[in-house]
Amino acid sequence: MSKLKTQEFMVNMGPHHPSTHGVCRLMLTLDGEKVVKIVPVIGYLHRAIEKICENRTYAQCIPLLDRFEYVTSMSCEYVFADAVEKLAAIEVPERAQYLRVIMLELNRIASHLIFFGTTVMDIGALTPFLYGLRERELIMDLFEMTCGQRLTYNYITIGGVSHDIPPEFIPKCREAVKIIREKLKDYEGLFNENPIWLARTKNIGVLSAETAVAYGVSGPILRASGIKYDIRKNEPYGIYDRFDFNIPTYTHGDAYDRYMVRLDEIRESLKIITQALDGLPEGDIRKKVNPFTFKPPAGEIYNRIENSRGEMGVYLVSDGTTKPTRLKLRGGSYNHLQVLPHVAVGGLVADLVAIFATFDIIMPEVDR
Amino acid sequence: MILASVELIGVFRWLYGLLVELGLEEPWLSVVIYGLLSVTIFGVLCLIALFLVWWERKIAGHMQQRFGPMRNGWHGWYQTVMDALKLLQKEDIRVDTRDRAVFFWAPVICFVAAFLAYIVIPFGDGLIVADLNIGILYVIAITTFTVISLLMAGWGSNNKYALLGGMRSAAQVVSYEVPMVASILTVIVFSGSLSMVDISNSQQGNFIFNWFIFRPPFGIIAFLTYITAATAEANRTPFDIPEAEQELVAGYNIEYSGMKFAMFFLAEFVNMFTVSAIATTLFLGGWHGPLLPSWLWFIIKTLAIVLLLMIFRWTFPRLRVDQLMEFAWKFLVPLTFANLILAGWMKYAGWYW
Amino acid sequence: MTRDELKEYIAGHFEGRLKPLESGRYALLYEVSAADLTEIAQALRDDSKLNLNFLCNIAAIDASDHFEAVYSVASLTGNHRLDFKVILPHDNPEIESTQEIWPAANWYEREMWELYGINILKHDNLTRFLLPDEWNQGHPMRKDWDAPDFVRFPELER
Repeated sequence: MSKLKTQEFMVNMGPHHPSTHGVCRLMLTLDGEKVVKIVPVIGYLHRAIEKICENRTYAQCIPLLDRFEYVTSMSCEYVFADAVEKLAAIEVPERAQYLRVIMLELNRIASHLIFFGTTVMDIGALTPFLYGLRERELIMDLFEMTCGQRLTYNYITIGGVSHDIPPEFIPKCREAVKIIREKLKDYEGLFNENPIWLARTKNIGVLSAETAVAYGVSGPILRASGIKYDIRKNEPYGIYDRFDFNIPTYTHGDAYDRYMVRLDEIRESLKIITQALDGLPEGDIRKKVNPFTFKPPAGEIYNRIENSRGEMGVYLVSDGTTKPTRLKLRGGSYNHLQVLPHVAVGGLVADLVAIFATFDIIMPEVDR
Repeated sequence: MILASVELIGVFRWLYGLLVELGLEEPWLSVVIYGLLSVTIFGVLCLIALFLVWWERKIAGHMQQRFGPMRNGWHGWYQTVMDALKLLQKEDIRVDTRDRAVFFWAPVICFVAAFLAYIVIPFGDGLIVADLNIGILYVIAITTFTVISLLMAGWGSNNKYALLGGMRSAAQVVSYEVPMVASILTVIVFSGSLSMVDISNSQQGNFIFNWFIFRPPFGIIAFLTYITAATAEANRTPFDIPEAEQELVAGYNIEYSGMKFAMFFLAEFVNMFTVSAIATTLFLGGWHGPLLPSWLWFIIKTLAIVLLLMIFRWTFPRLRVDQLMEFAWKFLVPLTFANLILAGWMKYAGWYW
Repeated sequence: MTRDELKEYIAGHFEGRLKPLESGRYALLYEVSAADLTEIAQALRDDSKLNLNFLCNIAAIDASDHFEAVYSVASLTGNHRLDFKVILPHDNPEIESTQEIWPAANWYEREMWELYGINILKHDNLTRFLLPDEWNQGHPMRKDWDAPDFVRFPELER
């Protein structure tokens, strides 16, 4: 039999593809089912947030920054407000600090629940997606109760938070914590030992610690690769040094570890929320700052926090006027998408989907 | 029995008598009768397929803490009818770069192959179009036709995702055909016949304990391997890689729209019903059962298997393509063949039956 | 390493090549000359005590009369962080790529090239990225950039 002629072929995965979570486009070169080359193409969601912010006052920037990473909007608000407060040396009232921590951690849980849902959906189990969203709904209700919004909160402002929590927030929040803790066991019962799940995620997309560090990978993915680094612990911001929590770390850096790290992180966040609710003091929720005339002194600062998708940073340059001179946003997904080709090349298309899902990349953070 | 009196077989006997009285002669008698019969079977199957679509959506909904379709009628019972009407009205979008003939014939072949299997499936006592003496062999042969149509759809669409889906389905169906046939052969060893009616009849009596599934260990192993292979044959999760939504968007049917898509869609559900009906005939005693009329028994058993497949679909993650092949060739094939050989040996030695 | 230790260590080992700047808050900010960039970056990463192996961010800044590129680097082992800044002329800004040292720099530099028009030397993939492929309206993040449909808000000084 004469030898059959074969050739590699190109496939555009995205920008409209169910498993690229938004508008990411991956130009794949395939050899049959095997991925030979990946070129990420971004920019479909570029909204020029950085440029628009240069023409807005500091207070006006915050609603815009909600859209920077809309799954965890609280983090975007916090990282900016914190940077401005550090520049202008504003003391944030104690109660506001605690409220911020509660909201940040609730939002982290909400984000990880979405991660759980979308990841298992990308690997083919459609039902748990709804379970993840069901538990997220409890958190969304808490946010709605507090600030009236479910996705883009505009809650953490310069000098504090915009609204105090209503009286029924605390019992509801404790109840949500309890429910989520219970449901986590169900999730783990569904997947942690499931042979199909193990076959699809164990030893898939192994990201070594060296590559991870070299490419600036951060957050849960870095910890899944075996590096115990969490900005909340290593460079505590806000009042995170007051809480007792662990940093879940795994060693293999495969898809399964990335999934496990996030589930464990939900538990740790629940711990933080419980402690913060216990220690919540009475008092002011905001130091009054005039949103129109507020002028931080000239200076520049790189402020970073631990977001659910890794390090979220903002480089803020102030020239002493009401508007920032430069606002550079840094999201974890930006680096994660950059390292994706190094991890996924050589695997199958199905592995690429699993890797993309466990990297938890969302595009607004990349494109800004 | 009131229920038994409405059985189709009675209607057709009456019709046959009427036509003979009117003086109609062969071959026109057969043409009319078989024409009516095929229209009836086709209509019933279309209704079943529509019902299965609705049922799948309800099951998915209830498993996912929601209701599923609720708007059209009681619990949305005619939702799928409206969906089908919508799909009929839709524009048939045809890509310019398609392979015209292949693109057109793929859904037709898929649809026809899905329905042809019902010639030999006994819906009840005497409710069978033709009791072929190679019945089960015929079913295996005709259901494999589906894979040709999927390959045609993949190729004809001139779309890379569709091509990948088509190739995957070819690889998958061909692989899973082997364990499926091997587990079916175990039943044939038990019954000693290829005819669907004979297979059903050999499971008659003794309440329900003459069913082949209750012949441990071979019957139960054959049943489990058959269900696994049948899930793969029907392209359902966890073996739904040909249309893996998150990888290939929609797989082979990505370029199809309107009624052509509906044909694929309905054929998929008819196929699911086919594999369940075969499982019923082979392992669960066919139409035999106490008290209830035969056709009701058949429908109940088949829907029970369908329910099982649906629960699989909404629970399990999806296997990867190479793991799927590994599972078929390294686990299922040796298991089913060992099962078949041991069953045949015991039958030959006469230890068992 | 605490902030003061780090300051002392830098002053001792990189005397003159890393000039401390006062405008930085919260973390140490230094100035590096464009010619020295790769050398210093390499030294910062390879120094066993500093071990600044993690590139957090590269931000380009248009300061009207000149460009700045700010590198924020961190050490995952030593738990410290510093920023350093390269000042570039406004016309024909050029900078050498640091992707050999921190591979993460690749995309940040690409973005800098695209949005600010800072030319990156020895970069392996300077292609259109965030902007559309057929973009020909200059570098939008520059302060003097003005598109026909781009409306500046009036200054809100009260």
